[in-house]
Amino acid sequence: MTFHHDVLKLDASKEIDRICCFISRQVDLRKKDGVVVGLSGGIDSALVSSLCVKALGKERVFGLILPERESNPISKEYAKEHAEALGLEYEIVDITRTLKAFDSYKKRDAIINSLFPDYNPSKHKIKVTLPKDLLFRDYFNFFTLRVLEDDKEIFSSRLRKGDINGIVAATDTKQRTRMIYLYYHAERLNRIVCGTTNLPEMMQGFFVKYGDGGVDIEPIAHLYKTQVYQLAREFSVPQSIIDRPPSPDTFNSQVSDEEFYFRIPYSLVDLLLFAWRNDFPKEDVCNVMDLTNDQLDRVYRDFNTKYRGTQHLRELPPTLL
Amino acid sequence: MRDNVNDIKTILREFFRNNFLYSSDIDSISDDASFMNEGIIDSTGVLELIDFLEERFEINIENQEVIPENLDSFNNIERFLHTKL
Repeated sequence: MTFHHDVLKLDASKEIDRICCFISRQVDLRKKDGVVVGLSGGIDSALVSSLCVKALGKERVFGLILPERESNPISKEYAKEHAEALGLEYEIVDITRTLKAFDSYKKRDAIINSLFPDYNPSKHKIKVTLPKDLLFRDYFNFFTLRVLEDDKEIFSSRLRKGDINGIVAATDTKQRTRMIYLYYHAERLNRIVCGTTNLPEMMQGFFVKYGDGGVDIEPIAHLYKTQVYQLAREFSVPQSIIDRPPSPDTFNSQVSDEEFYFRIPYSLVDLLLFAWRNDFPKEDVCNVMDLTNDQLDRVYRDFNTKYRGTQHLRELPPTLL
Repeated sequence: MRDNVNDIKTILREFFRNNFLYSSDIDSISDDASFMNEGIIDSTGVLELIDFLEERFEINIENQEVIPENLDSFNNIERFLHTKL
């Protein structure tokens, strides 16, 4: 196999059939009646729900739309539009109350206030980012908190380990809360929970342990993001969802997957991750991608660091069994 | 009181041995081995290292100084600390 720009292109209808067989078989193996899918309004859950409907029929797919007060409002609208287009039964549950009961917002805001005493959640928005320009500079991965007022950055601070741990722990309660709701309905309906993690997320650990990673099956974990888009187009997923920039939709200020985690655009993540995983000669990769050796080394180092550091997310808990 | 700069590598190796997941064989890591390439430091590991260096050596590390040239090997850290102490 040679490395080239179209190396990730799939035989879409064959791949769709393969995944549908997988979904159907997994449901049957477990003697369950169908699936429950979290619908985020993004491309991954749009594709997964489409695949589930094709595999099982819309009556056996239950969608859950789980916004909270900091979610982008269009997420709910896109998810609802797509669920209705698929004709599947769905429910919208605002999880803000659950998060407030756990003091998720308070815990996170207390850390932000310790760094920026003037922080006011009612008028400020926040996001957390990694250094940009992975191709052009060698930076370690450190997180920066950014506080915005009227979309202008008014404060930024590199986060210390204790601070980022605290912010991540509080923020991860969003995904873990969603897991609770998904499993409540799955158990109520005798169904399995279908995950929506794609390959770059899986291999680079961009998901929350027992949050969006707490599922029964992951039918698109073998797909690169560009392949997700390719298959989504076969299903006529709404253009609004296809055009939407990928985002964790975790903070109340818009942050892309690139800013928050990958540090390079998805168009590069996919091909370079594929090249890294399949050990293509670096010279070939550099030539095709128009990168220098140093640039490629920077990306590969970042991949390796994230892969090794998140191995625990992809493993079962160790036991003495 | 600041540690003797001659003890820096000893102090660093002890810190790495006690704090990093992949440091079980820290003594076999040479002074110029890259922590990133060896997979010794993960994404929060460097934050831990920065916290440690700032507290232990009473220095302040700026964002633009969080680069491999300053932090990616025992030799690099020692050289970097010499500029700050």
